[in-house]
Amino acid sequence: MATTTDNAATRVTGEELARRARRKELRDRWMWRILGYVAVLGAWEFVSGRFLEEALLPGPTRVIRTFGEIWSSGKLPGAFADTLTRLFIGFGLSFIIGAVIGIISQNRWWEGYFRDATLVGLTAPGLIWALITAIVFGNRIWGPLLAIIFTTFGLVTVNVYEGVKSLPKELMDMSRAFHVPGAIRQRHIVVPHLAPFLFTGMRFGFSIAWKVTVLTEVFSSSSGIGFEMRVSSQLFQMDEFLTWILAFFLFALFLEKVVLQAFENRFFRWRQAVSAQ
Amino acid sequence: MATTIERPPTGSLAPRRRLASIVKSPAFARVLFPISVLVFWLASIAVIRNIWPFAVDVLPTPLEVADAMWGEIIDPFVGGIQAPTRENVYFTFYRSLIRLGIGFGIAMSLGTIIGLGMGLSRKVDAFFHDWVMAVLAMPALAWALFGSLAFGFGNTGPVFTVVLAGIPFVIVNVREGVRNTPRELFDMATAFHVPGNRITRHVLLPSLMPFFFAAIRYAFSIGWKGLVIAEVFGGQDGAGWTIKFYYDAHRAHGVVGYAFFFIIFALALEKFVFEPWSRRVFKWRPNIAATAVVEKAFAAGGAGAAIAAATLITQVDAVDFIDEEDEPKRIDVDEPDDHEE
Repeated sequence: MATTTDNAATRVTGEELARRARRKELRDRWMWRILGYVAVLGAWEFVSGRFLEEALLPGPTRVIRTFGEIWSSGKLPGAFADTLTRLFIGFGLSFIIGAVIGIISQNRWWEGYFRDATLVGLTAPGLIWALITAIVFGNRIWGPLLAIIFTTFGLVTVNVYEGVKSLPKELMDMSRAFHVPGAIRQRHIVVPHLAPFLFTGMRFGFSIAWKVTVLTEVFSSSSGIGFEMRVSSQLFQMDEFLTWILAFFLFALFLEKVVLQAFENRFFRWRQAVSAQ
Repeated sequence: MATTIERPPTGSLAPRRRLASIVKSPAFARVLFPISVLVFWLASIAVIRNIWPFAVDVLPTPLEVADAMWGEIIDPFVGGIQAPTRENVYFTFYRSLIRLGIGFGIAMSLGTIIGLGMGLSRKVDAFFHDWVMAVLAMPALAWALFGSLAFGFGNTGPVFTVVLAGIPFVIVNVREGVRNTPRELFDMATAFHVPGNRITRHVLLPSLMPFFFAAIRYAFSIGWKGLVIAEVFGGQDGAGWTIKFYYDAHRAHGVVGYAFFFIIFALALEKFVFEPWSRRVFKWRPNIAATAVVEKAFAAGGAGAAIAAATLITQVDAVDFIDEEDEPKRIDVDEPDDHEE
């Protein structure tokens, strides 16, 4: 074997080996991932009807069958629509309020004013807002909306304020030196800088908001996912209960991870272009 | 905007200007907030009584709420009228905290084991990853209702909820902690033939510490929020059960008063337990940017919200776990630089 060809050969095989190793690793990961699914779903199916009665813990196949039944009964779209309407109105308001509080917190006076409000909004359990609004407003529409706002605005505010703390000082100073009016300064310096933080706040806020929406519906609604969950749990129909929660869980995850993420990617395309240069 | 007026060294200023400087200070604004909430509360009561009586079912006055809270604080057994066995606020929180402690302990130990496994082996990671994320995103309400139906009234349902609500946070944090242990230190320790237990003690544990701390903090606060929901549905006593008791009795002043207890409890926990503790945990390495970011983000509210935002500014690997906690889709090992550059 000549040394030159030997060299070339080892280099090729080196790359090839690395690629092979990577491929093997990927295959391993997928295998173990699928194994994880099989193990968990299998254990769930196995436990149901053997260690726990099927009435208590319906297995995955039973849940899928129940989903078909609920789907064909036509209750599903109505319940989803009700919950989603509440969620979007409530979280929309909450996002606006949270973002405004965050933005006016550039002023230290307002920061001090809203500091405790934000802290309470972050630390208090959603349950107390659900119960207070339920007892004060009955089943009027304001109850769930206010509960969503109280529980989630703090998350938005904290994120926006995090952006406010890192505002580009030179730009702000310069705009002040050149007597740029406040509104234009907000529009052209502050808001573009805060955009990623607004998105982060939106995603975190949303992940909490849909949970609180369902929780308030348990107490103070006569429609929606939470209401259906309460009814089925009071009737001890675990299969329906699990189906409702899983259906909405998957849908909310889809909104959170796919829709919001896609929205964000689209919104920040210009930034990616910048970083690609 | 540090344009607040500095206080002059002597009383040379006119009292009016000194008053203005007090009014303009952030501390004054902070005090003003509760006062304005109170004013708003009283105003809305006045509006509802006089102008718009059908807007709400019942809005308790601040005095009623204060009275209800005071009764809970001083009576050994409150409310002989409604239920002679109902206990006051110390007992209910005590019972809830015991449940929280048990569930938290189980979540910590199980979560540490799974997290270590996931951090050390990619196969274990692939096995558990999606399920951990699913449990992380599941609302505590689902566990609470399921627990109450499956285990009946008592302690099991609430503890079960605490475990399932808290465990994903422990797993994710411990896993990230293991992944972030400095590799060079490990290599050097092995090169210098440092015995294994000393590596664990001096390399692994210190670098895991901040992550453990984050795990404890999140698991505790999320577990608490889950616990009160579980007690509403599957408890016979405890803080969550008591607020539901007031709710069922349609005593709005009791519900609002108890809500204040919850808020006070959460704030006190934050102020007197986690903040001093975090200062102590992070004191030994004050210069490391990563931990500074972690700590700063914690100080911002404890809900893990600002932390991901912080990662946008500082590209420090050690805070990546926070980014991932709430954004499970980004954890994919195959594309580690998916954060914004």
